[in-house]
Amino acid sequence: MLKDLIEKHLLEVQKPSRYIGGEVGSVIKDKSKIDVRFAFCFPDTYDIGMSHLGMKILYSLTNERENYWCERCFAPGEDFEAVMRENNIPLYALESLDPIKEFDFIGFTMQYELSYTNVLNMLDLAGIPIFAADRTQELTQIVVAGGPCVCNPEPLADFFDIFILGEGEEVNLELMDLYAEMKKQGASRDDFLRRAAHIEGVYVPKFYHFSYKTDGTIDKITVSDGAPEVISKRIIKDFDKVFYPDNFVVPFTEIVQDRASVEVLRGCIRGCRFCQAGFIYRPFREKHTETICKEVKCLCENTGYDEVSLASLSTSDHSEIDPMLTALLDYTVSERINLSLPSLRVDNFSESLLEKIKKVRKSGLTFAAEGGTQRLRDVINKNVSEEEIMNTCRIAFEGGYSSVKLYFMMGLPTETDEDIVGIAELANRIIDLYYSIENRPKGRGVQISISCATFVPKPFTPFQFEPQDTREMIEHKQKLLLDSVKTKKIKVSYHNPDVSQLEVILAKGDRRLCKAIYTAWKKGCKFDSWDEYFNFEKWMDAFADCGIDTSFYANRRFEYDEILPWDHLDYYVSKEFLIRENKTAHKSVTTPNCRLRCSGCGVNKKVGRECF
Amino acid sequence: MIRVRATFEKCGRAKYISHLDLNRCMLRTFRRSGLPIWYTEGFNPHPYYSFALALSLGFESSCEILDFNLNEEMPYDEIRDKLNAVMPEGMKIIKVAEQKQKITAITEAEYSFSLVSDDTERLYGDIEALLGMPEILIEKKTKKGIKTVDIKPSIKVMRCEKNDRSVDMVIRLPAGTQTNFNPTLFIDALRNCNGAPFEPEKIRRTGIFCENNEIFS
Repeated sequence: MLKDLIEKHLLEVQKPSRYIGGEVGSVIKDKSKIDVRFAFCFPDTYDIGMSHLGMKILYSLTNERENYWCERCFAPGEDFEAVMRENNIPLYALESLDPIKEFDFIGFTMQYELSYTNVLNMLDLAGIPIFAADRTQELTQIVVAGGPCVCNPEPLADFFDIFILGEGEEVNLELMDLYAEMKKQGASRDDFLRRAAHIEGVYVPKFYHFSYKTDGTIDKITVSDGAPEVISKRIIKDFDKVFYPDNFVVPFTEIVQDRASVEVLRGCIRGCRFCQAGFIYRPFREKHTETICKEVKCLCENTGYDEVSLASLSTSDHSEIDPMLTALLDYTVSERINLSLPSLRVDNFSESLLEKIKKVRKSGLTFAAEGGTQRLRDVINKNVSEEEIMNTCRIAFEGGYSSVKLYFMMGLPTETDEDIVGIAELANRIIDLYYSIENRPKGRGVQISISCATFVPKPFTPFQFEPQDTREMIEHKQKLLLDSVKTKKIKVSYHNPDVSQLEVILAKGDRRLCKAIYTAWKKGCKFDSWDEYFNFEKWMDAFADCGIDTSFYANRRFEYDEILPWDHLDYYVSKEFLIRENKTAHKSVTTPNCRLRCSGCGVNKKVGRECF
Repeated sequence: MIRVRATFEKCGRAKYISHLDLNRCMLRTFRRSGLPIWYTEGFNPHPYYSFALALSLGFESSCEILDFNLNEEMPYDEIRDKLNAVMPEGMKIIKVAEQKQKITAITEAEYSFSLVSDDTERLYGDIEALLGMPEILIEKKTKKGIKTVDIKPSIKVMRCEKNDRSVDMVIRLPAGTQTNFNPTLFIDALRNCNGAPFEPEKIRRTGIFCENNEIFS
């Protein structure tokens, strides 16, 4: 039995409880009574994957169905991978400890581009052919992917049978229902894929064929096997009534987000032009306060967690935020539960809100300012004024805070040296503000942390057309920022620009990259999002081996009239709108948030009703 | 405030829960149980609970001790049942009772294990030879560095049985707040004899004792 073999070696590795299952909340079923087995794979380690809310939702949702069984599977750490390879332990799922190659569906959630090589490594560990074309015609081992990265799934197209676009709560079950039905009929893999392609939200990449022009851009996308020309993402229409788990799998070992979590809203009204999540998750939908309270209570009681966080892209945009927090705090304070509120915005940070936050946490405050000058913040449509930033900091300082963390991006479209120096100047003005406040925290100096990411243009954003700064440009800007900071009260940290470059290549790439990803993995690339594993040289070698010019994807402006690798996918936001927004950005003109005025992104037409 | 003592089993998959993780796990188990757990009254109130002895990762046990406090009196069996309803797989409360002895009264712990070998005859001989030595010196890692200790006087062999595929042993070792010897010290000493190759299996704590062989309770 696989369990004995695993146990024989389990004590040789770090944190063995990650590899043996048995956690409270995990679902065990009798496999003889199961029609469809689904391995939900997260292409990173347990500690990270177990923190992912989407997995918790789809895990519970699938397991609600008596005859379906969804199990979890993660990338093993390096030590356990070595043990698995040495002892021929195939990648297995944590509930049954059965090899995932025996499963009907092997589903990956693609949360970030730098996890792509882990998918290949996991398929290899599982003993499943890495290329979809090499898989059996038998109806089994359907390898599927969902998550934000599949809005441009082309660099992964050769490895997957199916991509699931948009929200999975309904379409996953529809896909499994079709599978169960066709399995009984003895259908082949291709029969199934052909029918699956007609489920809304299901994209079968092998039915779509790309041809390229001599300049490397896409000439046309042709469709075969009767598959639809355009594939639309799926959304949940009535978000307040959407399935939400009443229990989580509670890990033994500490994970990154070790708490209960309730999704309070989906989508975002803001339209920050760099933010992919802000566009691909539209329309904005929220849950009622009562629903949220009920879900918080239920989850805390069933899991035993003493901390709950509200998940969303921007929690303070909930229309009932104040009464919601009041109601939640009533419950959490009396039950000694910590309530954590990530994702707050600077511009609607009221004193009463701060009072509530202060009740729940004592650590620092983090704000995303993104741009150092008002001009640049207008370009990216971060509708935040310096006055609002200052006002928020004032409220925070008067409320007893003495440290603030500010997020910025570097390499944004139209950015100049002035904008970089502006980051340091903004921080300086916040320091001056601190010392101008009479009732500031006594005897404490102020600490401003500046965290700078490199801008990565992403599909389905107005900036999808933009080139990324070259490494030289970013290095110049990083040095300029460091030189502009002249006090120890400001701490600067920034991301490795090589990582961001790989990210943009994979994000905006096309099908020709599949080979390069495979080559990079063959060269030993995995866990690319981990500093200690990231190996840019190997990646560049892989691109060179495959004859790929990375600047074609990373540093080239994509034309408005160019066929983009994701143009056959419909994420409800129209390309015309994205072009319009791109042009508006270059004029440094902002677009108001969706609540103030509809900017005609096209989502309401697809949904068939106004968003507000 | 009512002080209670639970004796619990930690077997199967639960043996991979580390001591640190067990703390978090019990905290959540208490919360799930809905029992009126007593919280400390300091600046940062938290449930008060403590384990009598830490158990090494990978060991099973049939006699772990957990002390905690409740706000109100309840039948012991009800406390046990409420906890068992929400315990993780492999962990089970055997009984809940009053705290008779102090944790400091613990002197010894008993362990059973199997030493799997192709040549149990020779392994049995190796064990006899090792136990017959005037001293068994082992290197023990302490907070102050590596120390050489003679464990010979501390080992009580309760059982040593030669079977087809293994030699099965039950030994008692000093435990408690003063000295704690892990059975792996003995197993490593045996391995260092370079005798018949073997693999230890099914290490399980089977008893916690006080002076005069009295079972700790």
